[in-house]
Amino acid sequence: MNNRKLKQLFASARRETAPAPPEDFAADVLRAIRREPPVAAPETISIFDQLNLWFPRLALTASAVIVLCVAADYGLTAAGVPNLSDGAAQLSAQWLLTPTGL
Amino acid sequence: MSDDAELLERIRNGATDDFGELVRRHQSRVFAILHRYERDLHKVEDLAQEAFVKVWRALGQFDGRAPFEHWLSSITTRVALDHLRKEKRRQNEIGLPELGDDALDWLRSGDGKSELEARSAAELLELAMRELSPADRVVITMQELEGRSVKEIAVAIGASGVAVRVRAMRARAKLKRSLEKLAGHESRGTEKSGLDGVSPHQNEK
Repeated sequence: MNNRKLKQLFASARRETAPAPPEDFAADVLRAIRREPPVAAPETISIFDQLNLWFPRLALTASAVIVLCVAADYGLTAAGVPNLSDGAAQLSAQWLLTPTGL
Repeated sequence: MSDDAELLERIRNGATDDFGELVRRHQSRVFAILHRYERDLHKVEDLAQEAFVKVWRALGQFDGRAPFEHWLSSITTRVALDHLRKEKRRQNEIGLPELGDDALDWLRSGDGKSELEARSAAELLELAMRELSPADRVVITMQELEGRSVKEIAVAIGASGVAVRVRAMRARAKLKRSLEKLAGHESRGTEKSGLDGVSPHQNEK
């Protein structure tokens, strides 16, 4: 079975006409859906719903960042590494608050 | 006559009878898709009804960003895929249908110069595709018979574009082997019987 022959087979099969639906097909479908619950309109999400959805996540992320920073500060202090606030105070004392200034 | 969007809006507002109009507009398309996977007209009708009931249930999820007929086609294809999976499970219980003389002759001819009649070609393909997995069959049918793009097929079967391309390549190779096997099987059957052009199943009767 070569590609040409397979393509020819597909081309012939494509030409086949599909069977026509029976006359009362739509009525049968309607009878079937009458046994189904009514359809609902698509749900629209307001901006407040979206904010409500996002705020708990944002709060949780912010808390995690704060906890991480505090833990890092304690960790670095315990390890004897000068922390950021000490460094900033030292810089200001040496350069900014001298009588001559910069 | 209003377009699909207006009709859908009326249906959502409680005009259930308008769903009948929607069915009438699109029933031919649904039947055409399903007939590619199932040749029994009664089963096609049942599957088409199942597809429209699914559409009805999911109408609330249709946001109108894509044309309604695309959405309907993908639901119909999924109904066909589920049907193929169910049929695959009980495939061994059903015997192979018989191939017509012209399909057999065409299979045996080496060059493929003669043209096969549309119905025989579809029957032959249907038989050969039984060797394929349901998803492979959907990929080949959508690509080769419906002329759908890789993107459309990917959406319909819930796979990536790359996966669809790989699946299509493998499925085509498998289909070729299946057709060759079918030609060999049918030839051996007729040689044994000594009746040219008659399938082995007919001789068993």
